[in-house]
Amino acid sequence: MFATVNWRHLLLWAVFAAGMLLLPELVKKGTLRTIIMAQYLAIFAMSWDFLSGRTGYISFGHPFLIGIGAYTTAILSYRFGVPVELSIPIAVATTVVGSVLFFLPALRIRGSYFALVTLAFMELMYQLTQVIRPDLTGGTRGISGIETLTRGAVNGFYLSFVLMFVTAFVLWLLSRSRLGTALSAISMNEDAVAGSGLNTTKLKLFAFCVSAAVAGMGGAFWVHYLGSIAPRALFDINFLFTIIVAALIGGASTIIGPMAGAFFLTFLLEYLRPFLPGAERYLIYGGIALLIYMYQPKGLFEIVSRLWRRA
Amino acid sequence: MALLDIDKLSAFYGKAQALQDVSLSIAEGDIVALIGTNGAGKSTLLDSIMGQVTVSGDIRLKGESLVGKPTSKIVAAGVGYAPERANLFAHMSVRNNLLVGAYTARDNIADNLSRVENLFPVLAERAGQETSTQSGGERQMVSIGRALMTNPSILLVDEPTIGLAPKVFNDIAEALRRLNAETGLTILITEQNVNFALTLARHIHVMETGRIRVSGTADELREDAALAEAYFGH
Repeated sequence: MFATVNWRHLLLWAVFAAGMLLLPELVKKGTLRTIIMAQYLAIFAMSWDFLSGRTGYISFGHPFLIGIGAYTTAILSYRFGVPVELSIPIAVATTVVGSVLFFLPALRIRGSYFALVTLAFMELMYQLTQVIRPDLTGGTRGISGIETLTRGAVNGFYLSFVLMFVTAFVLWLLSRSRLGTALSAISMNEDAVAGSGLNTTKLKLFAFCVSAAVAGMGGAFWVHYLGSIAPRALFDINFLFTIIVAALIGGASTIIGPMAGAFFLTFLLEYLRPFLPGAERYLIYGGIALLIYMYQPKGLFEIVSRLWRRA
Repeated sequence: MALLDIDKLSAFYGKAQALQDVSLSIAEGDIVALIGTNGAGKSTLLDSIMGQVTVSGDIRLKGESLVGKPTSKIVAAGVGYAPERANLFAHMSVRNNLLVGAYTARDNIADNLSRVENLFPVLAERAGQETSTQSGGERQMVSIGRALMTNPSILLVDEPTIGLAPKVFNDIAEALRRLNAETGLTILITEQNVNFALTLARHIHVMETGRIRVSGTADELREDAALAEAYFGH
């Protein structure tokens, strides 16, 4: 199944892991906290990319998936005292099941209609968390005081790194398989994929379930890192576009691209914060994203790849 | 019994009727061409066989009806489809394009790949090349190769020569002829290039505005002066 994986690839993954695990010894705690945020964003961006970057079905509702995972574990652990060892797997399963129920009909439509339907789901979730059982969801104010899994930046870094690394490695293995090839083919010509004998609905459903599972897992661990959750921070258009831009700016339909894009964006926004503490920062990052797209639509991954080949 | 039987087939795009009561039979091992101008219904007929158009009437492969089945099941039943070469996965390598076709015949991937690369050696030489950077002829070979990876009983090829130089379509005709002679594979092509169809196919159906107007062997049609004047321009 994984015919295109060789020892050089595995060596690169090992070098990457070793380099990242050394970071707590090399950088300050503040920087480490920024890296933690970048790693969670990388998980969300990879999750989005596995569905949208590969199959071409652009989802504007990804915070909806992250939100199901985050709210499920938050409510279970905070309201009902369910241990996180149980609440997180339940959150992942709920995200997959819930997302299939909501999004499956949307997979029958294409293009901008799919994007708009998924955007509507995000808005729907935003309203529902405030109106339906606010005694559970915390309504507009959300929930704070949720159990955190780690203490301190170093432990938080290791946990988020392991999550990001395992997610990246598994998605990379999938993308190197014939299944991954077929998913990429869908974005290029879905009718031709069907004409080659593949059931495109099943393929898209698979991509969707994987994407939802990763989003749900990321959301669940993220909320147990932050210790709080609020609907406006989660079901927010800025959050949605940060995920999408991270994937696109890094290089869609790759694994390293969304990770690189997430780190680039997170650090860019953090470094701009002292100079532009408000939303103006997004103007700068939007401008930089625009320039990168104009220069290289395939993102930072392609820019670095070309420089590497020239060298 | 014919390998493929089409019985009173009509096809519709919404309310527009694109095929009207088309009936034809294709014997196992035959090479058949559907010829006609743009809009005659040739590609619609192939799309109908592939389950991509709403139809009435019946289409049977080895006696089993294909109507109402999803495309994936039709391919699994033994219909290989090589659409116009614009329908490749442009930013994928030649090898990956071929492998996308390998899902329905997973047990024979190596054999099928070897058969395709034996038929079109250039595809083995350029296995890692993106198809968007290939010539029209090579892309046509990838399209046919991808269909062969499904291990079909019948191969449908949509307009294999469109936009190609005469030298290239001679190569493609030779490859299809060889494929038919060596493996006995049944082939159905659509064509606007009448001379190409006459040199390749044994049986020809001339289509016009969604109907089959004339059918016959290549020799019969070649000798029919009225038909030659009306459809072949000579």
